[in-house]
Amino acid sequence: MTDAQYRSGEKPVWCPGCGDYGVSAAIMKALGELNIPKNDIMVVTGIGCSSAISGQFSTYGIHGIHGRLLPIATGVKLANPKLTVIGAGGDGDGYGIGAAHFIHAARRNIDLTYIVMDNEIYGLTTGQASPTSLIGMKTKSTPFGVTENPINPLSLAISAGATYVARGFSGDPNHLSMLIKNGITHKGFALIDIMSPCVTFNHDNTYDWLRKRIYKLEDQQHDPSDMAKAFEKATEFDRDGSKMPLGLFYKTSKPLYEELDPVIMEGPVVGRSPPTTAEVEAVLKEYM
Amino acid sequence: MNDITIRIAGANGDGIDSSGDLIAKVFLNVGLNVFAYRSYQSIIRGGHVWHQVRISQNELHGPGEKINILVALNQDSIDLQSAHMAEGGSVIYDGSKSNVDALKDRGLNLVNLPMLDIVLKNGGDPLLKNVVAIGAIMKMTGIDIGVFSDIIKSKFGKKGEMIVNNNINSAKAGYDDPAVKNIMELKGDGKKRYMMDGNTALSIGAFASGCRFYAAYPMTPASGILHWFAAHQKLGVVVKQTEDEIAAINMTIGAASAGARSMCGTSGGGFSLMVEALGLSGMLEVPIVVVDSQRGGPSTGLPTKTEQGDLLFVSHASQGEFPRIVVSPRNIKESLYVGAEAHNLAEKYQCPVIILMDLYISEHAESINTFELEGIKVDRGKIATKSDGRFKRYEITTDGISPRSFPGTPGLEFIAPSDEHDEYGNLVTDFNAGIDKYVGIRRQMHEKRMRKIDTMLKEEKGVFVPDVSNADAEYFFVTFGSTTESVMEAVELLSPSGKKFGIISFKYLMPLDVEKTKALLSGKKLIDVEYNFTAQLAYLIKANTCIDISHRILKYDGEAFTGREIADKALELVSKW
Repeated sequence: MTDAQYRSGEKPVWCPGCGDYGVSAAIMKALGELNIPKNDIMVVTGIGCSSAISGQFSTYGIHGIHGRLLPIATGVKLANPKLTVIGAGGDGDGYGIGAAHFIHAARRNIDLTYIVMDNEIYGLTTGQASPTSLIGMKTKSTPFGVTENPINPLSLAISAGATYVARGFSGDPNHLSMLIKNGITHKGFALIDIMSPCVTFNHDNTYDWLRKRIYKLEDQQHDPSDMAKAFEKATEFDRDGSKMPLGLFYKTSKPLYEELDPVIMEGPVVGRSPPTTAEVEAVLKEYM
Repeated sequence: MNDITIRIAGANGDGIDSSGDLIAKVFLNVGLNVFAYRSYQSIIRGGHVWHQVRISQNELHGPGEKINILVALNQDSIDLQSAHMAEGGSVIYDGSKSNVDALKDRGLNLVNLPMLDIVLKNGGDPLLKNVVAIGAIMKMTGIDIGVFSDIIKSKFGKKGEMIVNNNINSAKAGYDDPAVKNIMELKGDGKKRYMMDGNTALSIGAFASGCRFYAAYPMTPASGILHWFAAHQKLGVVVKQTEDEIAAINMTIGAASAGARSMCGTSGGGFSLMVEALGLSGMLEVPIVVVDSQRGGPSTGLPTKTEQGDLLFVSHASQGEFPRIVVSPRNIKESLYVGAEAHNLAEKYQCPVIILMDLYISEHAESINTFELEGIKVDRGKIATKSDGRFKRYEITTDGISPRSFPGTPGLEFIAPSDEHDEYGNLVTDFNAGIDKYVGIRRQMHEKRMRKIDTMLKEEKGVFVPDVSNADAEYFFVTFGSTTESVMEAVELLSPSGKKFGIISFKYLMPLDVEKTKALLSGKKLIDVEYNFTAQLAYLIKANTCIDISHRILKYDGEAFTGREIADKALELVSKW
């Protein structure tokens, strides 16, 4: 199958040059290679420029509310674990308003793929600081510069218990597509944080700025099973602003939430018939 | 004597609740009606708590007023509870621990029961003090001690013979203690009855209707629902304790979108966090059931006390307009049916259904003669099976209901958007905002959703109107939800007054069949009774029918309404009418 079947054909809302075009292409390519029936895919997004990616899909999907895509996606997966559930949103959506859900989804190790298009700015609301904006960045809401340290989604995900933690770059869709594909096939909570530049509101972290800093972990024989090394690489940019690694930082195998839950392990609850009167009577008997 | 109230009082950690349950079970098992109510505090050890069981051969509608038998496990219990004693009532206390000098001239029956002493002879577990008292209560009320042995064997049988024997021997010692005299004969009819609280009934009803997903963050007084589903999850219900209530409702929306009947529950504070996603459910037309078991507000308010202060809040919560159903069960038995009905209505009309409980109905237990399970039918509403061309999930229909599909079904894929959208689910915002064609689509789509209210009013005959009892009465109490039971008790107490009182009680509060509701209320002498300061039901009635109910009995101190106080206030209002 080709990736065309996953595309709705709708015109994207993004500005010319927006990084999210590359992300959309990379997801479609990964799905095409995996050849998952489109009726078994549920794409859940939040709110923001990047969350509008839902409109690009011809699969099932929910374009939810700001910051809540992970709980929605979790609910879908808990009810029907046979579905391939992909969450996609932005840095404000996932690391700002939805940060609590991010941590808890990671620690649950539910089989979700979470794609974050990180442009270090609020685009849809026309250019305010985001939780990943760097110190000193001047935005509409911080005319004298950002005064808070940025969230590091990679080290946060590793410490919270995510079992697949990667970073890609929308300017390199083939590499990104590989990371997404492996994230989808990974059994467990997979985070793919993507440097996806905002060409309209973020004039600091541009394609050029990123290209000067990025390098690939696979070129340095990084061992993603080594948690300490993963933290070292995940925090490299925090310590040395001149280098930003891309690729798979951390990967491990832990039991899935779905495998531990006493109900889900017996199969999806969707499609089960309601209880019989005899079953309800048996429950009532406990109270006699 | 055919209506007695027993209260056991002590500190947190004294096992007051389980003892209260045991007392209720003793009388339930001989075929008496019971009504159990407790007062507790947000602390785990110490403080002052009590559990009360009212017992009668007749059906009961309230927790009782005066105490006929008080078990006082500490001095506090004597000092704080003696004011609530019925004339000639009995106080069971341990003279080695407590002093009852202050009660001596009040004509009370003071029973000095050496509870601690007996416990020390039977294994030493301090919680057995309560069991000694239960034995004494059984002697005083003429119940065979064998009834207790049967309960203990079935309850603690698995814990081993020693525990069972220690319990039985302690109860017998209380029963046989020379200080304990029989004072009445309570005779049951030998019939088997159920006993449960409202949270349990609601949970069983939801389960019976095929609810397969429950998510919640713990919050009193809704936690009982979470505990029920957690304990019964192996019946096939996915139960998720979430990081917050925002996650709980959003997971519920996700699970419902996947095709599972789904519910979440909380109290007012948690409901406040759920409000944005409530609107999402309205916009995506995803059926969910949300339970708000109210407690005293505002803010953290009275965490362990009751109130009906969220009616207007849940009726209007979330931005914009969308159809919703608000239902407030009026008794425990009805809570079971509501738990089931709510899921049918949510799925038929693809909208959120809010079940408005309160601490009083959630957490008090009652005996129930029977449940009519045959009435519980499952109706999952319109479900699409195929589509010619691209699936129109939000098809404009005359009844406003568009057939839905579940992920996994080939050919019926769609994206459900929180933005306004066309029949396919494409956004009419972004590029299309303000363009004539899409302005029209917005209008049509909003009307389509809102049309579901007309459809439910038309299809659900007699559902969205209040019930009337004693239709020929001169005065009518107007009330909703759990307060209805207290009002029923008031009407019974008022029957000797010579004035005839009826009840107009609301179960469904939104939507309302305005014409029928107006017709029922018009021209009657009405007294509004509700558990809040601002008479929120009266406000809702006025907004819908222009009928102003100026006679009101309102309470907001957190303690349960009694039939007596409603009856007394009603007579006062009537005398000045």
